[in-house]
Amino acid sequence: MLKLFFWLRYLRKKKIVFLSIAAVALSTALLIVVASLFNGFIDAFEQAAVDTIGDVVLAAPTRFAKYPLLIERLEQISAVNAATPTLSAPGLIHLGKGNVRVVEIWGIEPASRARVISYKQSLLKQKDSPGEPRFEFAGSSEKTQGFVGIGVLAEPDEATDEYDLGVAGSMIGKDVVVTTGTVAGANAGDDSAGLPPIARRVIIFTITDVVFTGVYDLDKSLVYLPIEKLQKELHPEEDSQMADRIQIKLKDDVDVETALAEIRGLWQVFAAEQLGWGPYMIAQTTIATAQQMQRQYVAELYKQMGLLLVIFGVVSFSVVVLIFCIFYMIARLKQRDVAIMKSCGAASSSVALIFVGFGCCVGIIGSGCGAALGYLITKNINAIESWIRILFGLKLWKSSVYMFSKIPSEVDWASALPIMLFAVVAATIGTLIPAIVAARTRPVEILRYE
Amino acid sequence: MYKILLAARYLVKRRITYFAILAVALCVFIVVVVMTVMTGLVGGFKQKNHSFTGDCVIGTESLVGFAYYEDFDNILEKADFVQGISPVIKNFALVTPAGTDRSYALEIMGVDPVIHSKATDFADTLYYSKDNVSEAFKPVYDTNLPGCILGIDLALERDARGRYSYEATPGRIALSVSCFPLTAKGALAKAGTGLVNTQTFYYSDNSHSGLARVDSRLIYLPFEQAQSLCGMAGPVKRVNAIHIKFKPGVKPPAGRQKAASLWRSFKQQKANEDQAYLLDTVTVQSWKEYRRAFIAAMEKEQTMMTVMFGLVGITTVFIVLVVFYMIISHKSKDIGVLKSIGVSNANIVQLFAGFAFSVGFLGSAIGTFFGWLFLSKINQIESWLFEHFHFQLWDRTIYAIGDIPNQLEFKVLAVIIVSAIAACLAGALIPTWQAVRLRPVETLQVSQL
Repeated sequence: MLKLFFWLRYLRKKKIVFLSIAAVALSTALLIVVASLFNGFIDAFEQAAVDTIGDVVLAAPTRFAKYPLLIERLEQISAVNAATPTLSAPGLIHLGKGNVRVVEIWGIEPASRARVISYKQSLLKQKDSPGEPRFEFAGSSEKTQGFVGIGVLAEPDEATDEYDLGVAGSMIGKDVVVTTGTVAGANAGDDSAGLPPIARRVIIFTITDVVFTGVYDLDKSLVYLPIEKLQKELHPEEDSQMADRIQIKLKDDVDVETALAEIRGLWQVFAAEQLGWGPYMIAQTTIATAQQMQRQYVAELYKQMGLLLVIFGVVSFSVVVLIFCIFYMIARLKQRDVAIMKSCGAASSSVALIFVGFGCCVGIIGSGCGAALGYLITKNINAIESWIRILFGLKLWKSSVYMFSKIPSEVDWASALPIMLFAVVAATIGTLIPAIVAARTRPVEILRYE
Repeated sequence: MYKILLAARYLVKRRITYFAILAVALCVFIVVVVMTVMTGLVGGFKQKNHSFTGDCVIGTESLVGFAYYEDFDNILEKADFVQGISPVIKNFALVTPAGTDRSYALEIMGVDPVIHSKATDFADTLYYSKDNVSEAFKPVYDTNLPGCILGIDLALERDARGRYSYEATPGRIALSVSCFPLTAKGALAKAGTGLVNTQTFYYSDNSHSGLARVDSRLIYLPFEQAQSLCGMAGPVKRVNAIHIKFKPGVKPPAGRQKAASLWRSFKQQKANEDQAYLLDTVTVQSWKEYRRAFIAAMEKEQTMMTVMFGLVGITTVFIVLVVFYMIISHKSKDIGVLKSIGVSNANIVQLFAGFAFSVGFLGSAIGTFFGWLFLSKINQIESWLFEHFHFQLWDRTIYAIGDIPNQLEFKVLAVIIVSAIAACLAGALIPTWQAVRLRPVETLQVSQL
């Protein structure tokens, strides 16, 4: 009770204590914001990978045939919910007068793809339509139909970093040309280098929808065509249906490692029996979760976050010094209070506890305020960034640099709580020496009349 | 004299002052280290962009390009501020290495290696033909074959320390390069036929510009062949850009203005030509404007870091405030005595301002010294950490960064030190004001003694 009385009294009378609370709050808020933004970015990055390629990806070293049979078998595994094929090839797209872009062409099945990833929501025209997404949305046509990433059709506004959906939408229904390449068949003869020549394939297609995933690199580079059409162009001699990647959605609550083991086992049997592949080719196949495929980059992001937190943590060590200075000052100024307490029988440990406890309170209040401030900043980070742009003309966040169109704004409490705890401990440490100074006060010296 | 004496006395005798100095030193140390590394990275990145681009670029973003560039080249060659000019073809291509079924969509740049080296630092980026640039597009294994220069990350692997394993001579690699040739109107030039132009080139050298996007996505082709591939080699030839290097002493902004002025006159002269409309999309940009999309991102990150350090630095202001508040509280009698013998308020302010300056200066000196010491060993520390713990500040297989920049820049250092001293002066402001307001009659009362 006595301790509480003194804490409240010092807090009320010694306004300078609010400085230490402010310093703790500022440092805590900064660290929470940095940790939340980094973790939010990493989460968004990993989620984008799952949204783009599914829970698990089976990527073969080369294109393989009979994928419908593989998918059928995969979907019989208890852990697998759905699977979809992808056939990919790099290409160039000609969108109109002088407008040529580098693209990645993905041959897909929209309906099965929508069962594996949240694909339909990213289609500008079909997202609110009932039924499964399909290429022939704009009406039946003899022509090939396909989807194009929004970034292929338009650039985000320099000032706002937002796409003009009207401009992108106006491309729907227009014909464009893509070219891609393949190794010519065995009958094509050799080129001067003694190697099979490269055959160029040109595909003219009608844009029937625009894909806006919010992930800049994907929106900027992807063109989607029916997988059969792309295969027909790349491998006209092949009768069986071909793919180079199978994207898999797992059922909820399955053990990922068990599921991966089952998929690997199935692939080994399928590749050996159906494709006639040897152990080397089978071993070259990557079967991994979306997170595992991004592991190296994510590890680098975590490392950078750790470094930044260490740097700011070291600078925040000044807070310990500040609290030490303030409490030392209080301990020196309030020697008479301490002397009276001790002369009334208070033990040195009780006196020390007043200061340590007070420091702990400062830490708790400061870190609480810091957490609130960090929460406010993180939650409103997009609005703050927008205001900075309006007031200073400085666009801090661009999807072309940071991949996503929005800054992640979720507070990462798993990081925030240790930071808050660290702040309380730091504040308490800052009071240790002043507490010892106060505890060592000798009433007989302080309360002498002279 | 007494001001210096008292300030020095407070500095030495009041041990609490050491904490203020420690806090300032800590902040200065961290800021010096981080800002030196960041400034080094940003500065290095800018320099690489400058070397890659030259001083100025006259060009268009449209892949159709612009015509009559040869006439403008003649004008530029006669200009007294121009040292080198290089017309360039830029486009995208589908590239397939022979013997593989994998294709890559890449950027191509058609250049004449000799004249491009006069406008940019292109020659310095080459490995095999650095000293004989005219041979850059001649593969050593057969000089009659058309050569191409690959961005280094397309040609070689980078190890964990960021080093490339060069071979004695370039390997014989044939690359099939396909482009959409475009007409002057931007339409596909080969409509009704194959639509694309394809030609095989042979790896003759690699280019290491130090710019990740360039080194991993760009192939240099001989100028005429690139022009032909892109459909720009008709009766009226076209290019996408002209890179310019100014003579020594000509500052890029001034040179850019002169080039822009020449371009305006040229455009007027050509106003009645058939393809004059292509000149409308041409802009004259300094190297910095031309590469702003890449440079601005790094500069913004540097600004954000500075702002964050500024926020954390507020704590230092608080510490100085508290320390001064304590000293003034304890030394009220000194101040009372000083005032009673006629020392003015201005002199009291000077006394504490001098004290604050000393704290800031000492803290900055200590922080700078340890910052310098740390920076001078930072690469050795990283090497040691990598050897023993496999820890690197940046994973060199992901980032195209060599050594950690550790050159202290006087300008950056000056800003940090001045900011630290200013923070100390700001922290001392309120306590000094309190000292000024002290009345000798109150502080020197018997009851106060």
